[in-house]
Amino acid sequence: MQFDPARIDAGFYERLRDHYTESEIVELGVFIGFNVGYHTFFRTLDFYPMFTPDGRLVSQEESRRIYGETPHSHLSADIQQAVAAAAAATGGAVD
Amino acid sequence: MPIIEPQLLDGAKRSTDRTIESFRRLSGGDTIFPQILAHVPAYAEAIWGAMAEALFEGRVDHRLKELMRIQLAASANDPYFSTMRSAEAVQAGLTEEDVASSLGDFHTNPRFTDAEKWALRFSYLMYRHPDQVDADFYSEGKRHYSEAQIMEMGGLIAIHYGLAVFMGTLNVD
Repeated sequence: MQFDPARIDAGFYERLRDHYTESEIVELGVFIGFNVGYHTFFRTLDFYPMFTPDGRLVSQEESRRIYGETPHSHLSADIQQAVAAAAAATGGAVD
Repeated sequence: MPIIEPQLLDGAKRSTDRTIESFRRLSGGDTIFPQILAHVPAYAEAIWGAMAEALFEGRVDHRLKELMRIQLAASANDPYFSTMRSAEAVQAGLTEEDVASSLGDFHTNPRFTDAEKWALRFSYLMYRHPDQVDADFYSEGKRHYSEAQIMEMGGLIAIHYGLAVFMGTLNVD
């Protein structure tokens, strides 16, 4: 949907129907559309999480240092990376 | 034939009826979009409610927001929303020449003020070149609009583009 919507054609929807009802397909489509729209906009606003992975309230500058310039999805590897960065920044272990 | 079958109007719940009625503010008479959303009634009310709020309410000129909406739908290759015209915008003076200009080289077109050109660039760049929507771009926007107005336009861009991409995949003309 975000990168190649032309590939979401009638055949694609036919295959989706093997797994989902029409209601579920609409639900997924609207959810994806909403998120495609908003995440691109939010990214341009250049804001970072207020909290470190261990729950510490931090400034936007510190948060940027922890989470990095390039947006990451919150896959476990990225969260582990951020936890390690937070631990290094505070000089202690972070759960 | 739409890929997702629109729900029959007489099978819709009351909340969906309200959504369908409200949708006519944009469509004039067409109701396929809310009938498709009616597969998930809670979404129908919430999503169209947010789209309508972004388009019809707020402090940015509705005629300008309608041009941004059409531009976004065209950019998403969605014939359904890109050919729709808000009657309120038309009554406020929106013309097809305005629409054609907003889809073309609006940057230099004297038809638009500098503030309108910035708004049209906002919607034009967001999904083509989001990296160009940076701090300098927003600084320029703040010379024309309040932060509330910029957020109003950003919300409009985000939700109307996202849903136009989805509708563009459903084979609805």
